[in-house]
Amino acid sequence: MNGRRRTASVLMAAILLSMLLAGVFEARAQEAAKAQAGQTAITAPKEGSAVPPRPPKERMGVAVLLAWVWLSIAVLIGILRLRVREADRVFRMGLHKTGHNISGAAGD
Amino acid sequence: MNAFRAWMEERLGLGAVTGFLEKKEVPRHGHTVLYYTGSSILLFLGIQIATGVLLAFYYRPTLAEANASVARIATEIPLGWLVRSVHSWSATLMIAAVFIHLLGISFSKAYRKPREATWLTGVLLLGVALAFGFTGYLLPWDELSLAATKVGTNLPKAIPIVGTWLTRVMRAGDDVTGDTLSRFFIVHVSVLPLTILALLGAHLFLVQRHGMSVPLAEERKGVKGPVLPFWPNFAYREAAVWLILLGTLLTVAVVFAPGLGSKADLMAPAPEGIKPEWYFLFMFQTLKLFPAKVLGLNGELVAVLVMAVGMGLFALLPFIDTRPAERKGRIITALIWVGVAYALGMSIWSLL
Repeated sequence: MNGRRRTASVLMAAILLSMLLAGVFEARAQEAAKAQAGQTAITAPKEGSAVPPRPPKERMGVAVLLAWVWLSIAVLIGILRLRVREADRVFRMGLHKTGHNISGAAGD
Repeated sequence: MNAFRAWMEERLGLGAVTGFLEKKEVPRHGHTVLYYTGSSILLFLGIQIATGVLLAFYYRPTLAEANASVARIATEIPLGWLVRSVHSWSATLMIAAVFIHLLGISFSKAYRKPREATWLTGVLLLGVALAFGFTGYLLPWDELSLAATKVGTNLPKAIPIVGTWLTRVMRAGDDVTGDTLSRFFIVHVSVLPLTILALLGAHLFLVQRHGMSVPLAEERKGVKGPVLPFWPNFAYREAAVWLILLGTLLTVAVVFAPGLGSKADLMAPAPEGIKPEWYFLFMFQTLKLFPAKVLGLNGELVAVLVMAVGMGLFALLPFIDTRPAERKGRIITALIWVGVAYALGMSIWSLL
C-alpha cells in the first residue's frame, strides 16, 4: 500500500514539476518572440539625430563661458555672504530701524 | 544720484513700495527654505519669457517650416541652440519648482484660512505651467511631438457629451494637423502668457496681502517666532539662491542640450515606446494600466474621471481640510503622502 502511495506521489510530483518547467519554457519562448517582434517594430525616434554636432571652437567657447559664469557666481556669493552677515548684525543690534533705508546705503 | 531718485520718486511714487519692502518680515523656522521655491519659479518664468521672445524671432509655426526653423535655430543662428536649451530646461525646472512649492505648502498646511484664494490661484498657475509644457512640446514638429500630441489631445474624447468637442477645439479639427500647430503656437505665446501674468499678479497680491505663512506646527507653539527683514536680509539670501540656480540651469542646458527628431509625417504610423514629458508620466502610466472595461464602462473614461476627481480634490484642499490641526488634517497629510508616492512610483514604472 505504502509503495503504491509513494509511487503515486512521485508521479504526481513529476507531473507538477514537468508542468512547471513547461510553463517556464513556454514563458521564455513567448518573451523571446516578443523581443524579436519588438526589434522589428517601429521604435520611438531618437532625439538629436537631425542636429549636427556643434563646431569645436563654439564648444570650447561655451565651456570657457561656463567656467567664467561659475567663477563669477562664486565671487558674487562671497560678496553676498558678507552683506548678509552685515545685515544680520545690523538687525540683531536693532539699527535697521534707524537710518538703514532700502537703497542699502545709509549715507547716500 | 539723489536728484535722479527724487525725480523718479516724484513721478512714480516708489517710496510706498520700498517702504513696504522695508517693513515686510519673513518668518524664521525650520522650513524657511520653502520660501525660496516661490521666487525660484519667478526666476525661471522670467528666463522663459526672455528666451521665448528670442526663439519667436526665428520660429515659423507652419507645417512646412516648423521643424526646419527649429533646426535652423539649433544649427545656424549664433548660440541659438543654447537659447533653445535654456528655454527647454527652464520649463522643466520651473515645473519641478512649482511641484515642490505646492507640496511644501500642502505639508505645512499653509493653505489654511485665510489663504484659500492664494492656494487656488497657485493650483491654477500649476495648470497653466503644465499647459505651457503641453503646447510647447508640439512646436518642434518632430515625430515624437506629433505622436505625443495625438495621444494627449485624444484623452478628452473619453469624457461624455463634451469630450469630442473638446478634442476638436484642441486640435482645430478632427486630427492633429498644421492648424493644430498654429493653434498651439498662438496659445503658447499669447493666451497662456497673458493668463499666467494675470494669475501671478493675483497670487503675488494675495501673498503680500496675507504675509508669509508660518507652518502649522510652528504656529501651534503659540509664541511669535523669530523673523528676518525681507530687505535686505532675505533679499540677499534669495539673490544667492538665484545665482546658484542660474549657474545650474546654464550648465544643464550646455551639457544636455535637447536634440531634434526628424520632421513629423502626418501619414506615418505612431512609433512605439512614446513617452510624454516627465510631469505627465504618472497619468500616462495610470491610463496604460486601466483595463478596457471597468464594470461595463469604458476604462479610459473611468481613468480620466478618477484623475479629474483627484485633481479637483487637490485644488479644493483648503475647503476639505478645515481642521488641519486635528485628526482629519493628519489623515489628509497621509493621503497627500500616498498621492506623492503613487505619482513617483508610476513615473518610475513608466520609465522602466
